[in-house]
Amino acid sequence: MVLYDDSATLAGSCSGSGSGSSSSFSSKPPPMQQQQQQDIDDLLAGAGYKVRSSELRKVAHRLERLETAMVNSPADFSQLASDTIHYNPSDLASWVDSLLSEFAEPPTYPSEFIMDPVTNQTVANDVWTTTNPNMPQVHQNISYEQQSLNNQLTVVTAMEEDSGIRLVHMLMTCAECVQRGDFSLATSFLKDMQGLLTRVNTVCGIGKVAGHFIDALSRRIFQGIGGGSINGGSAFENEILYHHFYEACPYLKFAHFTANQAILEAFDGHDCVHVVDFNLMHGLQWPALIQALALRPGGPPLLRLTGIGPPSPDGRDSLREIGLRLAELARSVNVRFAFRGVAASRLEDVKPWMLQVNPKESVAVNSIMQLHRLLGSDSNLNSPIETVLSWIRSLNPKIMTVVEQEANHNQPGFLDRFTEALHYYSTMFDSLEACTAEPDKTLAEIYIQREITNVVSCEGSARVERHEPLGKWRTRLSGAGFRPSHLGSNAYKQASMLLTLFSAEGYSVEENEGCLTLGWHSRPLIAASAWQAVSHAPAALDTHRPVQSKAG
Amino acid sequence: MVQSHHRGCHRQGNHETVGESKEKRPKFFINDHVDILIEILKRLDCRSLCVAASVCRLWCTIARNDSLWENLCFRHASPPPTSVRSVVLALGGYKRLYMGCVRPVRRRLGRARRASWAGDEVQLSLSLFCVDYYERLGGSNSNGRLVGESSPSSSLMFLCKPVNV
Repeated sequence: MVLYDDSATLAGSCSGSGSGSSSSFSSKPPPMQQQQQQDIDDLLAGAGYKVRSSELRKVAHRLERLETAMVNSPADFSQLASDTIHYNPSDLASWVDSLLSEFAEPPTYPSEFIMDPVTNQTVANDVWTTTNPNMPQVHQNISYEQQSLNNQLTVVTAMEEDSGIRLVHMLMTCAECVQRGDFSLATSFLKDMQGLLTRVNTVCGIGKVAGHFIDALSRRIFQGIGGGSINGGSAFENEILYHHFYEACPYLKFAHFTANQAILEAFDGHDCVHVVDFNLMHGLQWPALIQALALRPGGPPLLRLTGIGPPSPDGRDSLREIGLRLAELARSVNVRFAFRGVAASRLEDVKPWMLQVNPKESVAVNSIMQLHRLLGSDSNLNSPIETVLSWIRSLNPKIMTVVEQEANHNQPGFLDRFTEALHYYSTMFDSLEACTAEPDKTLAEIYIQREITNVVSCEGSARVERHEPLGKWRTRLSGAGFRPSHLGSNAYKQASMLLTLFSAEGYSVEENEGCLTLGWHSRPLIAASAWQAVSHAPAALDTHRPVQSKAG
Repeated sequence: MVQSHHRGCHRQGNHETVGESKEKRPKFFINDHVDILIEILKRLDCRSLCVAASVCRLWCTIARNDSLWENLCFRHASPPPTSVRSVVLALGGYKRLYMGCVRPVRRRLGRARRASWAGDEVQLSLSLFCVDYYERLGGSNSNGRLVGESSPSSSLMFLCKPVNV
């Protein structure tokens, strides 16, 4: 029996992650094996002690006090140990209370057998209410607590770590149950995990990530696979969360700067350029490009920007507002600029004629974490990704910059996907620990949490976060008529410098066959690559390619 | 004092020189020679320049002059093309660029810095400065956050944080 003395974790964590899922849990009553009495902590019940979950904190406090009392007055031990047992130690709350009161007034020993009226019933596997004198066990308890005083802190931390590992194991087992379809067993695991969560520090580390995954699993089990839809969040909310994610960690900054560098180099020498952005948001990528174009030797080109974004429901044209801001910036630095907004709720609804590409201008297509949304679950002939890639190809872009999460979250098997997501998002949350700016950090976590929920609890068309690793994108894009364009040393230098500016010393930029990846402690989390359309024209006109190969 | 010393040292023969120096040696006030003052202040580092700005009103005015800060920004880099100036002035001026971007960037990169990065540091600072200007343009539109004139907008906050060791 171990009760922890960090009562703070109890108070905070129960309300945070537990309450949401437990309320949805109680709305649909699945068959439960254990519950006869509400509110009894069943992990402790398994060990033979009955404590009400609501009283856990109080009992912990009292045990602390008991411990100090015992240590301070060791003479009373022998008296306590030698008497016949007065209290029912399986009802932990009243047992501790009574011991404490006894220490307060040493000489009085009530002679009757006191049993708490509430817990008259005995638990099935209760080893303490046997008729054997419980003296040896009590003695053990006391000596245990004496020992534990010495290494109190190490017991707590070791137990926390242990709980963390147990939590991970239980998560995997629960996911496996879900994959098998055994929802009742999965539900009981969920309950256990929520109880275990109360022992783990959910402010940081594995506890926090586990909390999110437990949430997502319970959504999957109780609301069904379409229920955890993130599309409930409005576009406005998404933009705000995205903005804070941009501020809190370097992933998006890395993406923007690397893509801009590739676009800048591709536009070298061209006077009429057109950039198509698949997800405009607040347009934070483009000021740096506008400034770089303004300062390039030879003067700035005429820049057209087409921003694609979700339609705004309340009548305000957010795309146009962003366009106006960018136009003002461009005017300040003397760059001829034109903006066009295309409102579309899904990328596959966009048709190339909406972009109004002028044949004389050089086109750059920029996709920051958008292409993975097009990967439908079934690979039929008209999958959206192929449609979109083919019309991108038909625009004949000078460069296409693709930034995607470096993870394999599109596997058909749920357990594999779950495991991969657990590792990926644990790493990402680790890296987020270094950020100290609030509210950026909290909102960035909510942003990531939405991704987790989508990966774990949604299926079919509701699941849009279908991340695939760089290798798969390479195959896919090469098959669609693109060839890789190596990001140069300038991009690498810029990315390295950018990372050095971030205070956390865990980020690493790596070069992977011409693509750059940003990761935390050598686990790549986001990958940036650049592509050129393979031209259909005869090889003589295309001076860049040394080897002639036919593209489809 | 100088004159009495002279009288003491050169008693007989230099009476004429003493008399000359008495009439012709002007008192030299640096504040009368603003061009020299500017040349001197141009070569100061940031901290000294800020200290100099508290000396007197004239020095304060000169120290606020953007061209001094331009020198500070591009001191270690090769001279930039002239177009940079118009861009920087449009985005808020050299002093703001230095205080908001170049200085924290230089300080952060100081440990890991390589000599070849000097020009790139300024480029990166310029890009960050531009994003900062853009966010300031947003003003109260962006998330209801009011952005003050002097405080850096949120995109530069990561530069303001102390470095975790």
